[in-house]
Amino acid sequence: MTLLLKWIPFLNVPLELLGALGRWCRFVWAAVTWSFQPPYRWRSWFCQMQFIGVQSLPIIMLTGLFTGMVFALQTGKTFAIFKMQNLVGSTVALALAREIAPVFTALMVTARAGSAMAAEIGTMKVTEQIDALRTMAVDPLQYLVTPRVIACIFMVPLLTIVFNYIGCLGAYVVGTTLLDIPSGPFLRHLYWYLDPDDIFGGLIKAAVFGFFLATVSCYKGFRTEGGAEGVGRATTSAVVASSVTILVVDYFLTTWILEFFTSHRH
Amino acid sequence: MIEITDLHKSFNGNAVLQGLNLSIPDGKITVIIGPSGCGKTVLLRHMIGLLQPDRGRVMVDRVNLSALDRVQMNAFRGRFGMLFQQAALFDSMNVFENVAFPLREHTQKTDGEIQKIVAEKLALVGLTGTETKMPSELSGGMRKRVGLARAIALQPKIILYDEPTTGLDPIMTEAIDNLILETQRKMNVTSVVISHDIPSSFRIADQISMVYKGRIVESGTAEAFRNSKHEAVQEFIRKGEGKG
Ligand SMILES: Nc1ncnc2c1ncn2[C@@H]1O[C@H](COP(=O)(O)OP(=O)(O)O)[C@@H](O)[C@H]1O
Ligand SMILES: [Mg+2]
Repeated sequence: MTLLLKWIPFLNVPLELLGALGRWCRFVWAAVTWSFQPPYRWRSWFCQMQFIGVQSLPIIMLTGLFTGMVFALQTGKTFAIFKMQNLVGSTVALALAREIAPVFTALMVTARAGSAMAAEIGTMKVTEQIDALRTMAVDPLQYLVTPRVIACIFMVPLLTIVFNYIGCLGAYVVGTTLLDIPSGPFLRHLYWYLDPDDIFGGLIKAAVFGFFLATVSCYKGFRTEGGAEGVGRATTSAVVASSVTILVVDYFLTTWILEFFTSHRH
Repeated sequence: MIEITDLHKSFNGNAVLQGLNLSIPDGKITVIIGPSGCGKTVLLRHMIGLLQPDRGRVMVDRVNLSALDRVQMNAFRGRFGMLFQQAALFDSMNVFENVAFPLREHTQKTDGEIQKIVAEKLALVGLTGTETKMPSELSGGMRKRVGLARAIALQPKIILYDEPTTGLDPIMTEAIDNLILETQRKMNVTSVVISHDIPSSFRIADQISMVYKGRIVESGTAEAFRNSKHEAVQEFIRKGEGKG
């Protein structure tokens, strides 16, 4: 009996999670319905695309390059045991396209832009700027959330393409120099094994991740309470919640995408 | 006409408003006073639908605010302008963009026309030439005046002022008081002003109402208010006049 009482606080956790999920769904529903109503604020859509997309380019290129390089190095060392180094390129390219590029890109965008969204919107919440928007008959969801969600849905896939490309480049450089794989077979295997479907499946993932990271981060911003300290808390929890969501969603998407896109090859 | 009937509002068990009744006449200045933390801001937020009553009703021009959906509410808010206690300027925009914001959102005016209106409103609040400053570069009083310029940019029918003069020097206080009076006379608006400043309240108010312990304890003309028998009112006037 006492043991049961001790566990009661823990029983609250799933309930709270469920409650948060419900509130988030309501938030998303409201944001989506507002997105389809005029006015369409093209300018702020492009501003967000510039912030989320263009300004994330350097960090995405950097992480992409090193991810490709280290991945080539690891697989190269293992494949050397079986004398299969020629497959390094295709292995890295497949893993990048299907899994690593979308997930890493989404995580980097979360760290950079998701945290900024939560902090910006959270600050506006605690300083009554959100209420000011409401009193001026501008819906805060439409004004603040729609441009960010749309920008993420478009920009995370584009950044993923860049990540893919730079990652393969990194693998190529490491493969042809450090691992002494001849350039010809490296590229031939890469082209042979990598299907457009792999890349396309990864881009669908990236778009879905973009949607989740933007809505979760904005949601956290909108729920900010309690001054500057609250903004700090909201920012942290936005990054944590978005990252976890991305990884969980990734699992389910992978099962689904493997089923629909790649099953015909087996 | 704003009619508030039996308004109740609690936050996490803290009962802030407890059956408040208040009627605010059209085309007049109503000043709401009361001690800090008694719920004046909460009351004002109910009038513009930023908060929903736990119980009771808020009617504005015979429309029950709780009955409006979000699209209707947005349309309805066109008749309001609100100045927030901390001004609530958009800190990603400069002064010009802040004041121009409602004009850009709700009118088809050209850039030239908007520039003219913004300059005119800024002149009204005594801030000519600050267009390119960011809110972070302004003092508290200046931010409030920019907030006021933004609130009146669209010539609303009802203007809600949350402590427009708190933290301003006496000269600026008088200037803002005059501005409230002038706006009210020129545009025949309904003004609701939250204030701490007793002398200035007596100067501008057509009606003064005092919030105390979650209710309106006295409401009437400046004269009637001064002669109130209510203890809290008398104490508030004594302390306020001593200070002012
Ligand atoms: N959103 C809110 N959540 C919780 N408590 C609130 C909220 N808004 C106001 N309060 C509480 O209501 C009371 C009245 O606040 P307020 O209306 O701001 O007072 P004032 O008369 O000084 O404007 C305070 O005790 C405040 O803590
Ligand atoms: Mg207040």
